[in-house]
Amino acid sequence: MFSLESGSGFWNPILWIFIFFIAFLLFYGIRGFGKSAYKKDTDQTKAFLSGNEESSAEEMHVKASNLYWGFTTSMKTVYTELRKMHTGNASDYVLWFVIILAFLFLIIGVM
Amino acid sequence: MNIIDVLIEQSPALIIAIPLLGAFLMPLVSRINSTVRNIFGLLVLCLTGFFVGILASDVLANGPRLYIFGAKDLAVPMVRILFEVDSMSIFMALITMVLAFITLIYSWSFMKDHDGLDKYYTLVLLLITSTLGMELTGDIFNFFVFLEISCIASCALIAFWISEGEALEAAFKYIVVSAIGALFVLFAIGLLYAQYNALNIATLANVLKYTFLDKIILVLLLVVLGMKAGLVPMHMWLPDSYGRAPPSVTLIIMGATLASFYGVLRVIFTLYGNVLSTTMRFSIPLNVLVGWILITLAIISIIVGVAMALVQSDFMRLIGFSAVAEVGYMFLAIGAGIAALGTPYATTALQGGILHLLNDALDIGLLFLVAGAVYYITKKRSLDDISGLARNMKYTTVFFVIGLLAVVGMPPLNGFASKFLIYESVYQLNPILSIVAILCSILMLAVFVKVFYAVFMGPELPAFKNVTEAPRSMLLAMGVVAALMIFIGLFPNLVIDALVKPAADALLNHAQYIGTVVGGV
Amino acid sequence: MDVLGLSELLVRIILGTLGLATFGIIFGLFYIGIDRKLSAHMQGRIGPPFRQPFRDVAKLFTKENIIPDHAIPWIFNLSPLIGLIATISILLYLPLGGFPPLFASGGDLIVILYLLIIPSLALVIGGFSSGSPYAIIGAQREMATMIAYEFPLAVLIITVAWNLLQKGITNVFSFSTIAAAPVWNQVAGPLGFIGFAILLFVLLLVTPAELSKIPFDSPEAETELAGGLLVEYSGRNLAMYYLTDGVKTVVMASIIVALFFPYNLSPFIGLGSYTGIIIDVLFYLLKVFLVILFSVTLIRVSIARLKIDQIVYTYWIPLTLASLVGLILVMWDQNIVQWFS
Repeated sequence: MFSLESGSGFWNPILWIFIFFIAFLLFYGIRGFGKSAYKKDTDQTKAFLSGNEESSAEEMHVKASNLYWGFTTSMKTVYTELRKMHTGNASDYVLWFVIILAFLFLIIGVM
Repeated sequence: MNIIDVLIEQSPALIIAIPLLGAFLMPLVSRINSTVRNIFGLLVLCLTGFFVGILASDVLANGPRLYIFGAKDLAVPMVRILFEVDSMSIFMALITMVLAFITLIYSWSFMKDHDGLDKYYTLVLLLITSTLGMELTGDIFNFFVFLEISCIASCALIAFWISEGEALEAAFKYIVVSAIGALFVLFAIGLLYAQYNALNIATLANVLKYTFLDKIILVLLLVVLGMKAGLVPMHMWLPDSYGRAPPSVTLIIMGATLASFYGVLRVIFTLYGNVLSTTMRFSIPLNVLVGWILITLAIISIIVGVAMALVQSDFMRLIGFSAVAEVGYMFLAIGAGIAALGTPYATTALQGGILHLLNDALDIGLLFLVAGAVYYITKKRSLDDISGLARNMKYTTVFFVIGLLAVVGMPPLNGFASKFLIYESVYQLNPILSIVAILCSILMLAVFVKVFYAVFMGPELPAFKNVTEAPRSMLLAMGVVAALMIFIGLFPNLVIDALVKPAADALLNHAQYIGTVVGGV
Repeated sequence: MDVLGLSELLVRIILGTLGLATFGIIFGLFYIGIDRKLSAHMQGRIGPPFRQPFRDVAKLFTKENIIPDHAIPWIFNLSPLIGLIATISILLYLPLGGFPPLFASGGDLIVILYLLIIPSLALVIGGFSSGSPYAIIGAQREMATMIAYEFPLAVLIITVAWNLLQKGITNVFSFSTIAAAPVWNQVAGPLGFIGFAILLFVLLLVTPAELSKIPFDSPEAETELAGGLLVEYSGRNLAMYYLTDGVKTVVMASIIVALFFPYNLSPFIGLGSYTGIIIDVLFYLLKVFLVILFSVTLIRVSIARLKIDQIVYTYWIPLTLASLVGLILVMWDQNIVQWFS
């Protein structure tokens, strides 16, 4: 009753929630065997920077626009083209509209 | 006949009339007190919601319902404005009502410190009226009128933060694009009227022959409504306006966007329903051609949407680009359903697309609400400037995680249910479509994990040491949406059997829609 | 559903979860031990004994669980747990040891594809919440790696399902259907055979990226990032990540075995019930060992670590093109055979 069936597969969310819940209880219990104490506010809790000095929070903050450098660099050609396409000019928006309109007129009108 | 039946008979008109009256009374009521104004808005929406509810229970049980403005019975010639409500219309109306309630509750604290709130609430109620009108109407010129009302109301609401110049620029671009689109729609309606001498959708569908002018009309309507829904490459107004409007407004504008998507469905399945199987050159039927055009544009939408979202640094603009990608998923499912019309997997694709409508409204809505809460607390827009908010804003973090998992499509939330249906039906048309859809789902995960890190984790900057949690009505709005999302995710079958299957059947069964009007004469 | 059926289902869920959790952890750690021993011998060393990973986990449980100053404690503690639990839950949908899946009508291939994202996502979020720049760089590299390897993986899964669909089978994504109709039996000619061989090769190359092993372990680069994502983790949280790694190894190998080599030995030998079952389980464990040997150990000892943009390039250009070639060969397979016959 609770199972979603597309023509090609199954998915039963309630079952998965039960499994998740039971495994959660099991592993929370296993985790409790570990040690939870640590020495707070000593050198232990400072970030590990291979011995370098830790600067202020603003300087250590990795900004969000620097993330995914690997992905954007390997797709550099695609991204330059995409950024050039999004000019922000209102007449370019209408130009794209007219281009698609003409294109579809040709396809549907001719066929 | 008891009172409920009388109310159900009159409800299509009342659903439009009550918010319209509320919008016009709002400036008068606002003069009294701000609390009275808030309560008045809530009362108007509750009353409208009640009528939508009873109409929904009637339509889902008994089939399409007709309301004729100004006459008791149908009479030839059909010059009256007709509202024809079938299961698809009432599904869209339910989505609009949910978005409207959430907007109102959220606006109570979000817009509390602003001036001109009487105009704000008036415009919000007007936008709700026009969206409901677009969804319930059965007359194509009436659809155009409501489309224009929603354009103008949206434009004014996008420009609400006048003190920032970018909001005015976004509103200007929106109105230029929408006004040109609406003019083309008017041109198409004029061509329809000139040919067939009727404006009623069911009558037109009955007499439509696939002449050359009809081809022009189809292209015009498809391209303009696709542009209003955010199909690439005509999507560029969407991140601009979603990124600059107040986030509570963005929810309702999203409702208007989804109503344009509903317009595409109505045009293809009902208006051109009888001629969809005409074969054209190279013996390709019309539905295959239209379906593949929509699929191509949809695949480009998904790819461009997530690719651009990955490199944005403005929070709300990023969510706008991911909204473009989600609209691409909807068009992919609908296009596959049209291109493969008649096969069993086409019905599954259609159901997946319609469920994705509901899920997308809720998911992107929750993300915008969280973005609004972050903006309200920190007054900063760019992801580079915020950091470490999870220490103090725990509830907002949890809601953002729920929104993240849902928009990506992770089990067990609602996004997975609709994406599951879409993947497992679209691959039967062509495997490449499913592959691109799965890949872009993962890219969406990358986008939102980046946002999660940037806003909520990271070191505690001294500027944000003393931030407080978001106000309670905003948390309530976010909580209601998150609860709905979890419910749909855990019990997808209930929602699909009750709401989505009747809507898909109503779309495919255009003979019933036409027969309600034409058969009754 | 009546009370008896419901209670039977509940007992099945509880016993199945506990049993498969034990199976996953014990055999996951065991296979990690074998992998370390074999790679040490390939490099001319002796290497640790086979039960070293068990000792590692036990030792980690006695260490202090340090939570850094800049971390967010509740996310820091919760992510390892969520990752491990999600990986265990995948085991209940896979056909293990020659048996059909425990809950065949509860999840299929697409569900497993998405559930496989959760452990990596837990690693990423744990890394982001650690509050150290090394961890942040490592976490975003893991995210980029995830984007990279999902493309060939998606092509592979859709090809397998599409091929079964063309033969007229329904419920093609379900694992019981896939295990009952092995891919090598569904090809009509040499083109399909070559196509599926290419896809098997691609899947064997996707596995080290999923498991964060060299040459694709840029997120956990010990020599560049001092441990990367896991730099601030210690004690029981690190033990949870270690266990997740082991269980995920078993899960990925089981998926490869279920997709490409689901054959059982007992029908060939024709043995009876209990001996047949034991032979099947042993054969399954042997198959998993061979998969781990070829996809993790051999590659790990022979190739150096790739840079992150090289990883994205490798998966998106050559490997995706290879898998698309495999898809096209499988699509043309039927047509070419009909053309020639």
